[in-house]
Amino acid sequence: MNAAGTLRRVRTSLPGLLVLIALAAGLATLVIVAVSGHSPASQAQQVQQVAAGLHCPICKDLSVADSPAPLAQQMRQEIAQKLRAGESADQIRAGFVAAYGDSVLMSPPRQGVAGAAYYLPLLVLAAGLMAAFTTLRRWLRTPQPDPPGAGSPHLSASQRRAVAKAVARLREEEPG
Amino acid sequence: MRRRLTRLTRRQTRLLAGVGVAVAVIVALLATGLGRDPSVIASPLVGRTAPNFTLPQLDGPPVTLSRLRGQVVVINFWASWCTECHVEQAALDQAWQQFRDSGVVVIGVNFQDTAGAARSYVSTTDVTYPVVEDSDSSTALAYGLRGVPETFVVNESGRIVDHVIGPVDEAALVSEINSILLARAR
Repeated sequence: MNAAGTLRRVRTSLPGLLVLIALAAGLATLVIVAVSGHSPASQAQQVQQVAAGLHCPICKDLSVADSPAPLAQQMRQEIAQKLRAGESADQIRAGFVAAYGDSVLMSPPRQGVAGAAYYLPLLVLAAGLMAAFTTLRRWLRTPQPDPPGAGSPHLSASQRRAVAKAVARLREEEPG
Repeated sequence: MRRRLTRLTRRQTRLLAGVGVAVAVIVALLATGLGRDPSVIASPLVGRTAPNFTLPQLDGPPVTLSRLRGQVVVINFWASWCTECHVEQAALDQAWQQFRDSGVVVIGVNFQDTAGAARSYVSTTDVTYPVVEDSDSSTALAYGLRGVPETFVVNESGRIVDHVIGPVDEAALVSEINSILLARAR
């Protein structure tokens, strides 16, 4: 086999080889992501995530994740323990809501009266836009008043010229 | 011209009425919110079944709440470092002494404390009712505790019927227990 033939074969198979390398790299990335998803660090992140969504019951405007209060620390431990026991983030949140009420959530729930916090601003915005649109349309429809001294507002410039001409003609025709 | 003026007035009246209603709604909401004492937070557990627990006693066998079904249970969360807890302790002890033979149990749940400090407090004062340790605060969290003292009154069917934030008043506690016992007797 000569060198030219080898080179041709390499050139022909190069795109396929590149595709294979790209696929292998993608697969390796997926495996790494999947494996790191089950690492202990990820569970700590999950605790942080759940704790960040809960309001520290004895603090002002601090989440369970951010509060240094002993109660918040115990809540974080409780979250970790429940996650280890296989409870989902939603189940853990529901447990805290059952004990503390909706006020334990950093964001109000979307259903019930608290849902108004989400829908009311949108309603107010829609009402404002409608009011602005109606006002603007009314302004555009209202005829603009003629500048002072422009004569009758009902006559156009050409009509006014025609009237002036007619008046002048009548004056010429007047005897004396 | 006259008709147009009348129409405008009607429109203005409707606009004014709308603004008036909106203002009234906002004022009513503010009045309701501002008239409420922010320190009194209603527990969502009142009316619901009390969360069960099994906790070790400071000196004695573990206490399981579900085993006390059929009795009225007063669950008091306290700590040795809490001065308000010292204030109410006599009232709780009085209730325990008065009703212990009528199917009423008072349980002190020690919260965010050390067993040594709790034991020392119990031995030097007149605490005669059972005191349990909630070392990991899991029971406190299940009861939505915000601080101490907090007291929950559980009726004989296991439902929470009262929640007191701060020191309990002896007369109010006795009255609450009496009304539960009277209802049971009927």
